[in-house]
Amino acid sequence: MDSDRRKVLRWLGKGSVFAAFVAQIGAAARAFFPNVLYEPPTTFKLKPPNIYPQGYTFDAEHRLFVIRAAAKFHVISAVCTHLGCTVQWRGTEFDCPCHGSRFDPNGNVIAGPAPRPLPWFEVSVSPDGLLEVDSLSTVPEGSVLTVPTEKT
Amino acid sequence: MAAGRKSLWRQLTWPWSPDSEREASEAVVRNLWLHWFPAKVSIRSLSWGYSFWLGTVAASLFVILTVTGVMLMFFYVPSVERAYGSVKDLQYAVSFGRILRNQHRWAAEGMVALAFIHMARVFFTAAYRGSRALNWLVGVVLLLGTLMLSFTGYLLPWDQLAYWAITVGTNIASQAPVLGPTIHYLLLGGHFVGQQTLLRFYVLHVFFLPALVWILFAYHMWRVRKDGGLAGLEPVRAMRRAEPKEMPRTKSYSLFGLTPGTSVAVMSSMGLEERDQVMSSPNLTRRMILVFLIVFNVTLVLALLFNAPLEGPANPSVTPNPAKAPWYFVWLQELVASTTIHIGSLTISGGLLGGIVVPGVLLAALVAWPFLDRSPEAAQGVWFARSRARQNLVFALITLAIIVLIVVGLYLRGPYWRLYWPWTARPVMPRVL
Repeated sequence: MDSDRRKVLRWLGKGSVFAAFVAQIGAAARAFFPNVLYEPPTTFKLKPPNIYPQGYTFDAEHRLFVIRAAAKFHVISAVCTHLGCTVQWRGTEFDCPCHGSRFDPNGNVIAGPAPRPLPWFEVSVSPDGLLEVDSLSTVPEGSVLTVPTEKT
Repeated sequence: MAAGRKSLWRQLTWPWSPDSEREASEAVVRNLWLHWFPAKVSIRSLSWGYSFWLGTVAASLFVILTVTGVMLMFFYVPSVERAYGSVKDLQYAVSFGRILRNQHRWAAEGMVALAFIHMARVFFTAAYRGSRALNWLVGVVLLLGTLMLSFTGYLLPWDQLAYWAITVGTNIASQAPVLGPTIHYLLLGGHFVGQQTLLRFYVLHVFFLPALVWILFAYHMWRVRKDGGLAGLEPVRAMRRAEPKEMPRTKSYSLFGLTPGTSVAVMSSMGLEERDQVMSSPNLTRRMILVFLIVFNVTLVLALLFNAPLEGPANPSVTPNPAKAPWYFVWLQELVASTTIHIGSLTISGGLLGGIVVPGVLLAALVAWPFLDRSPEAAQGVWFARSRARQNLVFALITLAIIVLIVVGLYLRGPYWRLYWPWTARPVMPRVL
């Protein structure tokens, strides 16, 4: 009886030291997952709609294309869905320089290793009259924003 | 050894040029730098033609990399704003900085090549059998460590190659099942490639990975000794075992006095005889110093002749066209570019298949091979043993496939990763949009 109690106490003692050791390793590992990120916002403003010419305009800062047809606007991501390189608009299709993925004007995969189409981002006009993009919110292909004529 | 009677110069140098056999064996015990050698070394393992000293060449390159790397740390600033400028300074403003960086670069590429060729040597001589299997596994980890050192190393200049390699590399990691996004977040230190990412790869490159490789290298060398030296000795041992032993006729003591007869045959634990061995100092030490000096001079000449590549500063909005990985990773780039498959509505990205599954299978094959090799014992330590012809062919074909992919990636890929013959004109692409 006495020795059983000792055994339990000994196990508790050793176990708590070991647990503290493991917890410390876990805590050290946790530090590598940052809690605060100093990253650009995922919702951002572009230029006023009337600045954009008809057709495809590349926005280098946000890595996306603003596409305008008369008063209709939509925004397609320029980040290849394969491994994240920036695709280029070549007049009739998007091509990726890293692994040769090709996308049609609506961002659908024509050829190459890209597994998914280029996403369309939700776009709106902000109260101060700029195009505003929410890059975390994708919209189905064909969703366009019609901007009232007085703003274009 | 009465050291006191010798001059200071002789006191420092006698272990390297011993005057007698006795001094030679004492040298190994009494000298800090030699104590990891055996007192005697087999003549067979000193052979240039059996091992080609490939491991020593790789280790020499690693010594050069460590020294030049520490030198470079005095000039390099691991900040996204200043990294590129500090490398440009090394190239154009620091006296002999260019040679330092070039030598580091060429030694690094050489180490990737040599680590692999050394592995091929070990494979083709079946030098991973029995207790040596463990050292083969250590070697596989060392090869991975070398590749990771190369990857983390060419990211540091923060040029276009660095930025897009880190983007593609970490996106491949994010394709891993279940844990992918977590690994991606951990590697980048966020969702985007940025300062945290550079700092993480910098610390990995200058401390953790070199420490891992140094520790495992020391263990690798120690295991070579514990496993009875190079596998090339096994044929010598087999020969010695087969030779009829002449039992020296002698008188020996029994309980009742002298009895005539034969004594017990004594064999060293190495299974080798006196005539198979020579003193480590200076026979081994001289050759090692010679190999190191040759390797050093070759990297130095390369550094004087060729500049390490440096592309334009990192630009997140424009990917170079085409964006090519260094030669030792371009076969993986070919794989990720061509292995996306569609099964009905299910799509498996090339990033997962070519970037994780195929290399994973190759790695698993390397790990398992020593335990699957059923060839006879006699194949050990023999180049291209007939009994292993089939498995040697498999290894050679996989190596050939990788080389073909490297050649295709390096010479046949043009803008937008399209295939061009080397002699056909390729469209010239603007570097900046």
